[in-house]
Amino acid sequence: MEKSKICLILLTISLFASSTYAKNKLSAVTATADLADFVRNIGGDKVEVVSLSVGNQDLHAVEPRPSMVMKVKKAGLLVRVGMDIDLWMQGVIEASRNKNVMRDAKGYLDASLNIHKLEVPEGKIDASMGDIHIYGNPHYLYGPENAAPILKAIKSKLSELSPENKEYFQENCNEYSGRLGNKINEWKAKMEPFKGMKIVTYHNSWPYFAKMFDLKVAGCIEPKPGIPPSPAHINDLVEKMRSENVKTIIIEPYYNVSVAESIAKKAGAKVVVLPPSVGGVKGVDTYIDLFDYNVNKLVESLR
Amino acid sequence: MRADIFFAMHRHEGRLEPELCEAYVSFLKLVDGFSLKTGKIHVDFGKINKIHQHERPYMDQPAVITNFLGGHGLVGEGANLSYLLPLPFFLQLDAGAWQIPAHEHEPEETGVTGLTGTDGSPIGEILVPGECGNEFGFGNEAATARIWSSFSLGNMSELEFGLSGAKGNGSHYTHHQDEAEVSGADITLKFWPSTFKRIISQNEFLKLKRTVPVGELNRQGFYCYLGYQANKYWETGVRYDSAENAFPVLEETNSVSLVVTNKLTETTKIRLQYAHSLETDINTGYLQLVFGIGPHTHPLQ
Repeated sequence: MEKSKICLILLTISLFASSTYAKNKLSAVTATADLADFVRNIGGDKVEVVSLSVGNQDLHAVEPRPSMVMKVKKAGLLVRVGMDIDLWMQGVIEASRNKNVMRDAKGYLDASLNIHKLEVPEGKIDASMGDIHIYGNPHYLYGPENAAPILKAIKSKLSELSPENKEYFQENCNEYSGRLGNKINEWKAKMEPFKGMKIVTYHNSWPYFAKMFDLKVAGCIEPKPGIPPSPAHINDLVEKMRSENVKTIIIEPYYNVSVAESIAKKAGAKVVVLPPSVGGVKGVDTYIDLFDYNVNKLVESLR
Repeated sequence: MRADIFFAMHRHEGRLEPELCEAYVSFLKLVDGFSLKTGKIHVDFGKINKIHQHERPYMDQPAVITNFLGGHGLVGEGANLSYLLPLPFFLQLDAGAWQIPAHEHEPEETGVTGLTGTDGSPIGEILVPGECGNEFGFGNEAATARIWSSFSLGNMSELEFGLSGAKGNGSHYTHHQDEAEVSGADITLKFWPSTFKRIISQNEFLKLKRTVPVGELNRQGFYCYLGYQANKYWETGVRYDSAENAFPVLEETNSVSLVVTNKLTETTKIRLQYAHSLETDINTGYLQLVFGIGPHTHPLQ
């Protein structure tokens, strides 16, 4: 047979094989790029995953778009952050009419289910408390120690949806958990000299990060969640930073960095801009990249 | 299945009264691609009609919506069936059947007036009520349909467009036996240069055909809104309205509105709006406070 015919046949077979293989992949959609990275690491080449938000977005403020509906429509698995931080997803899920990923369906996963939640409000909750989240602080992905129960939940869900790949998912989960666990130890070791150090943050989104590295959040630029700072609050914060020797303000890049810099200047502190999620800055393409970047940048600033 | 109820306090004829804005049950898990909503609903017609006032980027309702669909927009009791087509892009069909309360007329307000065509030439005479303000709409039974598509132009932008139609008895059917048809086209472009910055251009064009025994009346109107969200807390916008009325004596209103919104929290905002009528030179100011107790979900808009 001529070489060109053989090549054509082989090409046709490979195209057919790849398209068939692609069709056998489970389609997953997640609320954030962090969760997408988890699914990707556990799902491997058996899962195609896409995130509805990108790493430089504030999850509170993501605007749902009809084009997101098409991603959810074909998904076999949907993973949410939960705790009311991604309520915008609800309209998208309903518009997709995808029964498989609606609440309590087989393909629906709330990643917050088994994590240890911080700052769960008790007693009376009302609007005077700002944009408070009634289920607790939802920024748990800022603390890599929360990843273990999430990875386990994703592995279980993928195994339920694709039981023939159960062992594959288990192997991937073990490998990634081990790798992440080693990195957590590495990050803790780097941050060890700064244990007990006080920081200020813009929004109250860093308690899980602070808990992991034993940092103390002395205050927030927002007087209450979602409320912009008043001049009086800024003055009080500057005084507090001076009296308690707080030298670092951590802020996500989408908040008003100039306000943070102004406060830092008055208080004799430094501002450290840290991305909150995978893809938040160029080169931060995975969850491990994210904390490599954040820990290294913070260490450099705290020295 | 999901149930939603929205109450409001509205001022009618100088009195503040409670009103049921919407109350409906949604069946989300019908046969592939289909969903059904039934109850009292802001009908899926055009772009702005189904959006609650507190969610709109301006305080008042565009004049063309009031003039052709009513002071509260097109709101009916009935059912809407939606179908998301099995295509690689977003394309949704909606079809609804509604029962809509007609306007009431005082018997002593009836009279006779001349009906004129769009060129001003007389067509005949019809029975009309007394002063009804500038709002028209549907009454008794009406059917609606909408086709809506949307494309992502990249991570940072989205283009939506739609065509809508409504047909039924006019809101003054008891006295006029008028059949009304409203058709509309809408186009919305959104652009997000960064996390909290957004530019939106939202435009709707509506045509009304009102058929009475003695003839036909054709009217049209549109609005164009351009909004800019500068950061997490501040949003501004400008809207141009041009709308003909739905009554035999043709009147056209044109106005420009400027809007500034300060988002105090995720769910609470204060808004200042200024409107200038180009015909009458009248200037109007509005102050709106939207107070939210907690975050809640909204259907995809």
